[in-house]
Amino acid sequence: MRAVVKNRIGIFHPQGFLDGTNVPMLLSLEDIQATEKLDIDMLLVSLKKVIFFNKNGLDVFVKLLSNIRSKLHIVIGFCDYDTKKYQAISKFYENDLNFSLFRTQNIAMLFAATNRDESKKVLVYNPEASQRSSIAIELFDNGHHPVIAQSHKEFEEKKQYADNFDIIVEETFLGLFGQKIATRVRGNAVIYSVSNYLDAEISDSFNIAYHNNSLNVGFRLFIFDAYKVVSMNIHAFNFFAKLASAAAEYNATLCFVGLTFEKTPESFKNDLEDSGIMFFDKMEEILENKELLEELGGSSAAVTKNKRALNKVLVNELPRFIDATVSTIEMMTNAKASKEGASVQDISVDKSSKHIASSIGFYGDIDGMVALSFPHSIAKKTCELLLGEATDSEEEIIDALAEFVNIIGGRVKSLLLEKNINVNITLPRTYTSIDALLQVVEGKKGVQVDLNFDGENFIFFLTR
Amino acid sequence: MVTQNSIKAYIAQIPPAPKVLKQTLAFINQGELTQAAKCAEADKALHAYLKTLVNKPIYGFKNEVSDLSQIFGILGTSGAQQVLYNYMLSLLSPSQWELFKLDEPLFFDLQAQLNQQWKRILRHLNIDNRDIESAITLLPASIIVCEALFKAHHDEVALLRSVKEIDYNTILYRLSGMNLFDMCRLIAKKWEMPQRIAVIVTLASGDNASDDALLNQLGQWMHLLLFYEFSKGPYIEAGLNDFLEFHIDYVADIYEEFMSVMEVS
Repeated sequence: MRAVVKNRIGIFHPQGFLDGTNVPMLLSLEDIQATEKLDIDMLLVSLKKVIFFNKNGLDVFVKLLSNIRSKLHIVIGFCDYDTKKYQAISKFYENDLNFSLFRTQNIAMLFAATNRDESKKVLVYNPEASQRSSIAIELFDNGHHPVIAQSHKEFEEKKQYADNFDIIVEETFLGLFGQKIATRVRGNAVIYSVSNYLDAEISDSFNIAYHNNSLNVGFRLFIFDAYKVVSMNIHAFNFFAKLASAAAEYNATLCFVGLTFEKTPESFKNDLEDSGIMFFDKMEEILENKELLEELGGSSAAVTKNKRALNKVLVNELPRFIDATVSTIEMMTNAKASKEGASVQDISVDKSSKHIASSIGFYGDIDGMVALSFPHSIAKKTCELLLGEATDSEEEIIDALAEFVNIIGGRVKSLLLEKNINVNITLPRTYTSIDALLQVVEGKKGVQVDLNFDGENFIFFLTR
Repeated sequence: MVTQNSIKAYIAQIPPAPKVLKQTLAFINQGELTQAAKCAEADKALHAYLKTLVNKPIYGFKNEVSDLSQIFGILGTSGAQQVLYNYMLSLLSPSQWELFKLDEPLFFDLQAQLNQQWKRILRHLNIDNRDIESAITLLPASIIVCEALFKAHHDEVALLRSVKEIDYNTILYRLSGMNLFDMCRLIAKKWEMPQRIAVIVTLASGDNASDDALLNQLGQWMHLLLFYEFSKGPYIEAGLNDFLEFHIDYVADIYEEFMSVMEVS
């Protein structure tokens, strides 16, 4: 059994009955090795389709998840359960609950270190005060607005007005939490939450691959939410100085918000300012000041300085990228997709057309980005296999389009590996309009391939 | 991936029920077990299959049983019909499994196990009906069909399933408008099985409901039994645990009763 990965959360979906004798059969050695190679922030076991489990069965999962946590430093646990299952797990691990429990996958996503969700208003209740606080702190760090119910009575009262909240977090438990720095995206700014003592460990807990890719795909404003930082030592200082000089190559801005200098040398601030890092007292000073936001690059994701040229290696691999795209469409629709023409150019899309788009970055032996822009109707047809029931929901189609480019990314990765070219793929990014896509790729030279599917054209664009 | 044409081609190549089997079944339906045994003698492979089956530990005989009339006598009319359908299905199963890590003995064991457990359930439900008892034999056809249609697409499905929780049955339905259980129904029709068998198996998918309360109840029990068996180690290793979607809500109201019948504490 392999984990399904979405938004950097890997989830196993066992079905039926789980006990100590059958769970080891669910996870072969290859499955475990494949899981260890995943680039994820959280690894969970969904109990949605499990009708029976006992402690022996869960123990096997807990052991496997704990091993992976010690290697990848990620959050582990179970999700998708009802009250009865939650009570059973809580009883089984009464004094030894060191993994997390999330009632639903949507609740788990609120706690994922790399969070692209909009800020949500969350009602929180847990009978244990320490859990209530931990949950609220993590939610806050991830950019959400937790409202804590201090008693069950208060919770029931607030639940009556569920419409006041985007999501309700109950029967959720945070065990040993991941050591990754929480990352969230607000508009076109990437916000990292850092806390406590910043020392040499920052280089382990900071996802540098994610950061570099964010630069590559056009993010220009990076904010370190440092309200809870006590102090910073010379190792962390060096880390941020290096990060600042790398960001300068992309004309990107790094900011610290809420950092105090009671226990951190003032000289660090001056030196970091010299490196180009800016300091603010409050987050609102940036996010609510449109002019400043525009100046810092957080109002658009355009890449102004980073016009990296296509190189021969990438162009040589173009047929593999196109093969991956065409074969994925054919696999998912049983219809033919054909190539109409290809040329090296700036992206050319009819701005008046109602397109939606998706892109995925890749990095490693070669790096770049593939963007696909579809007419709305074609996007829907292409993703029918993933969508299931006919839907006109823009959100669902966009979501399926992200899964679709993820599959293409997976194919590209394996096709390149056949030629001993190792790449990793990034999270997919989706665009609800052509303008949003153009903000990222306009002015960048790339290979545009016009493809035809079901009598309509769509665009494949490979760039760096 | 799987196309309408590949489905049509698969259905077209399913052989009709062999003549000897049809005659044997006809005798069984008339309650003529001795005649049925004589008729079955003409098919050596069937004889060997029946001998292997009744000498499995699950039947609990101390001494080897090899005479066909003795075997049919042991099985009774319901049991004999059930076993003959199992045999027909084994003729359809591949000699070499590729998608699922199955082989002939393991598939055989699954058939035998399902038969015995289904009998146990029907006894509990006080149902004594030959067609209902035989309905369980068609269920593993879903595995055979899945193997045949998807064995060439294993990597594509794996890629799809790396980003989306989706089972083979759903993929097939979304690509063709037919699911594995619809295919089982077509097989049943081709083999001239009683219609009730096909209806119960379709309900066992958990995707459909019937106006008939009894058939719905049987569909629920069969769905839960299927996943009870698919949760056993060898079948998990074979990849049978997640080729269909388990509809937990569909079986919620019979779960406690099922656990008591299966004596699981």
